[in-house]
Amino acid sequence: MKVFSNAVTYNYSWDEVSSANWQKYGPWNNKSEHVIAVDTLSRSVDPATGVLRTERLICCKQSAPEWIKSICGKVDESYVYEASYVDPSNKTLTMVSQNLTWSNLVSVQEECVYSPLSEGETLFSQSARITALCGGWQRIRNSIEDTLVTRFHENSIRGREGFERVLEMSRKVFAEEKERLQREQMIAA
Amino acid sequence: MSASLAPECNDVKERYDTCFLKWYSEKYLRGSDRENQDCAELFKNYQSCLKVALNERGINKLVEEAREDNKDNDVRLLSPPKK
Repeated sequence: MKVFSNAVTYNYSWDEVSSANWQKYGPWNNKSEHVIAVDTLSRSVDPATGVLRTERLICCKQSAPEWIKSICGKVDESYVYEASYVDPSNKTLTMVSQNLTWSNLVSVQEECVYSPLSEGETLFSQSARITALCGGWQRIRNSIEDTLVTRFHENSIRGREGFERVLEMSRKVFAEEKERLQREQMIAA
Repeated sequence: MSASLAPECNDVKERYDTCFLKWYSEKYLRGSDRENQDCAELFKNYQSCLKVALNERGINKLVEEAREDNKDNDVRLLSPPKK
């Protein structure tokens, strides 16, 4: 088992970041070509705590290195199950995810948390536990895990760049929308 | 918004996602309308489309298993410590 962890600070409020998170894999993100579909499976607000729980199914397409394919088979398209929990009173958004497909070959369990650092800063912390089950010998499984950790690292850099763009665009659109509403109100008055 | 795994559901999904995002940022984060009545009908339409696609692809069963595995996280994260 290998662990990948990462932390990023975004210069946006937690409200902005947690809203933009729902659009992370939309057209504003030009660095997430590997995510081809995101569907919501269920969504509810816990009446006692106010926590918003969402289940999503994420479909990814990313080609694995040839040598891994030769050991584990074709593992290009995969489905990920994600459960997320927004706690509005403590201002935390936690997402836990696991791979649905190829789970007999490799197990990836990830947890990401967005929490406020200050009024205008939000901390994103990510950790993933990666276990290769295919490959027979421990030495091969270790190499598979190392390769996947490297892939996680590469994706996290692109993920940050892509999400920065989503945050920038959503702030811009939000400001424009606000301006438009104010103009309409002025005309109405 | 991102695409649905079932292209035939893209339209209903897009309408629901737009409704949800508005509710999330304008109401939920401000502590009002926790039931989200506004988007309920759109969500129902989206789900009835998606369910067919998930069944056809046999993903339903995998989701059920993952949901079962995730029970501990539900317990841990649905009842956060009081502020």
